[in-house]
Amino acid sequence: MVNLTIDGKNIEVKEGTTVLRAAQSAGIEIPTLCDHPELTPYGGCRLCLVEVEGARTLQPSCTLPVSEKMVVKTTTDRVKEARKFVLTLLFSERNHFCPFCQESGGDCELQNAAYQEGMTNWPLSPNFNTFGVDASGPYFVLDNNRCILCRRCVRACGELVGNFTWGFEERGAKSYLVADYGVPIGESSCVSCGTCVQVCPTGAIIDRQSAYRGRDAQVTKVPSVCTGCSIGCAINIVVKDNQIVRIEGRWGEGVSDGILCKSGRFLPLEEKRERILTPMVRKNGSLKAATMEEAVAAIATAIKSAGSGVAALASTKLSVESLSLFKQIFSDGLKSSMVTTIEEGAMTSASASFTDSLKKSFESKIDSMNSADCVVVVNTDLYKEHQVLGFMVKRILPSGTKLIVIDSDENGFDPFADVKVKAGKGSNVDILDALQSAVKKQKVTDEAAKCGVKEADLVNAASIISSAEHPVFIYSDKLSAKDGQKAVSALIDLAGSVKNSAIINTKGKANSLAASQLKLDKPFEAGKHQAYFVAIGDDEPTEGLLTDLEKAPFLAVSAAYHTKLTARADVVIPVEMWAEISGHFISMDGHLQKTSKSLTAPEGVFSDVDALKALASALGVKTNDNWKEAIKSRVSPVEIVEA
Amino acid sequence: MAKPKIASDWLAGCAGCHMSLLDIDERIVKVAELTDLRATPITDLKEPDESGVDVGILEGGINNTYNEEVAHRMRNRCGLLVALGDCAVFGGVPAMRNFFTLEETLRRAYVETESTEPNSAVPSDPELAKPTEVRALQDVVPVDIYVPGCPPSPEVIFHVLSELAQGRRPEIKGDLLDWH
Repeated sequence: MVNLTIDGKNIEVKEGTTVLRAAQSAGIEIPTLCDHPELTPYGGCRLCLVEVEGARTLQPSCTLPVSEKMVVKTTTDRVKEARKFVLTLLFSERNHFCPFCQESGGDCELQNAAYQEGMTNWPLSPNFNTFGVDASGPYFVLDNNRCILCRRCVRACGELVGNFTWGFEERGAKSYLVADYGVPIGESSCVSCGTCVQVCPTGAIIDRQSAYRGRDAQVTKVPSVCTGCSIGCAINIVVKDNQIVRIEGRWGEGVSDGILCKSGRFLPLEEKRERILTPMVRKNGSLKAATMEEAVAAIATAIKSAGSGVAALASTKLSVESLSLFKQIFSDGLKSSMVTTIEEGAMTSASASFTDSLKKSFESKIDSMNSADCVVVVNTDLYKEHQVLGFMVKRILPSGTKLIVIDSDENGFDPFADVKVKAGKGSNVDILDALQSAVKKQKVTDEAAKCGVKEADLVNAASIISSAEHPVFIYSDKLSAKDGQKAVSALIDLAGSVKNSAIINTKGKANSLAASQLKLDKPFEAGKHQAYFVAIGDDEPTEGLLTDLEKAPFLAVSAAYHTKLTARADVVIPVEMWAEISGHFISMDGHLQKTSKSLTAPEGVFSDVDALKALASALGVKTNDNWKEAIKSRVSPVEIVEA
Repeated sequence: MAKPKIASDWLAGCAGCHMSLLDIDERIVKVAELTDLRATPITDLKEPDESGVDVGILEGGINNTYNEEVAHRMRNRCGLLVALGDCAVFGGVPAMRNFFTLEETLRRAYVETESTEPNSAVPSDPELAKPTEVRALQDVVPVDIYVPGCPPSPEVIFHVLSELAQGRRPEIKGDLLDWH
């Protein structure tokens, strides 16, 4: 520990702490612009200059490490003059005219800094040099004229997302932000995760969806959890007038510490589907508006006459509460033979059944990525799916972490891989077994030939894996598509043959693991059921599901949006979409998290829980709210912890 | 103490700051009681007294030789000079044209605009003031008090006027500091 004095206050902090963080920990505010809690210090803007006793010049507090008996002053006239001068230079350099900028009025950190210093004018007038504006990207606009060269975006893109799209061209005051080697953003390597938009302190990177739709002072930020995939990133849903203005990551919180992907940040605002606003019952061949009582009665009648010939499917985007009720009604109450999810356990059943036989958890938390020095990606394309997990892989590659991609198909991570193991033939079990043999330093010529894999690739991959301190294996249950739990078992054997290994399974949608814990994970066989019930929520039906249900004698659907599925239903119940629900979700690595209701549902729309309870009472099925017990009835592949 | 004499004028602005001044509503009666309001664009007297005024208030930036003349005249005849609003303080919205050349902006305004007659030209009457690039007031004459805002809110303007009327130099800070 190091002792120092800041503004007369004695502070004790860990060695290596910067003066800025030490001050912040003691509640002393030092104005900053280029600093960001999630990024490495850069010392670019010089707004955080402080006076250090014994130092000849003012020092940037954000990059200055504390030292024993250091005496720092943050409010002297010299410091205040310097701050004003720094701001004066920043304002003189580009177009920082506030009346025509969407950040103005509270959201601009540059403007706020000037207010804080009490600046009523710019001592040096701007020079009116012009820079380019790039509006080629789908989700944000880059206006270099508003840029203060703080490079938060560059650091965020590289350090947090591992994408390294942003960079700077030219030097000094002529510097400007470019994507890749100076291509338009829309044609660049940008993955539209929007992290740069969230860190930009000025109006240089502008969010197209939320620009001019409400300043921070005019909106409500509802902390919640993203249900776009099974990672469960911590988000703030930014709401105004019962509409979502924007979705932000919550810095330093949740699984991803505030990083989101395109699907979490931007796509939810592109919802174009039409909302279902009333219960509907098919009469004389067409769906007619009905009361909730009529709709529930119609479903109950059809189900009762179908006996156990009822099949029920739920979306894995439903809350645990809803999934539990769904199971109680159809599995426990009606004893239906076909109760599952529309994911059909495809992303979880192999690991779940392996866990059943193992009788203990074998998968790791996502934070095991923090110490990974080797990542083996097996049959999952993190460039396209579960992108945030992909960011966590890509961002640790520059520090020397090795990447091995095992995938018979083309994988978005191929270009970054140290070794790619591409199978020509043979099963995943064979490849994983061969790799394990190679790790054990056995000769694998024959096995390589059997799988159609290059022997050198196997040997190289094996040597990387076995020399790693903390190898992390990331797989999806696509791995087991052909060979079931044998493939999972082969992967576990491989991981088990090296020390300190961790295994992460990406699973499917937001509540994939919860559905698996409730044993809603069997393959769907359309069969000859008399009645079908689909609780699809705001999910979209697959073509396969539509085909399977084409000849359903009776189909009831609870859904938020009009889809091809609701179009062919006999009864439709309108339910809430994700932002209207407050419910629990279990992430891929077992974090039990609760989403918050950020929007009020339109009148006449029911929560899934209420709709299912109404159905249960019409069917005379008793239900309970003990979902927390229910998810523990089976050992989970990964330990479930309440977040 | 004699009532302080106040004169105002507008330059390359939109008159919005003077509108905001009128928005102080009934408080203007108080201002009129406490001060000697002289020339303003919204009263009959158009030029500040040759004998001088205590406070000169200018709205708008400087975008031609006539604005320069008005600014110099006000500066010469007033004690304290107040730059009122974002245009006078920073250059404001009119300064957007500085990102283009003067020729480009004039051609766009007088020749290329969708509503102009065919064969129209940039006016060149020698009686007209010569356009210049848009500057903040401080780039032409020394300014004593800056009142930013687009426009400054009536509260800010009343605060400034009431401080001046009582012989104090107004300070713009806290909630009153808002550039928009």
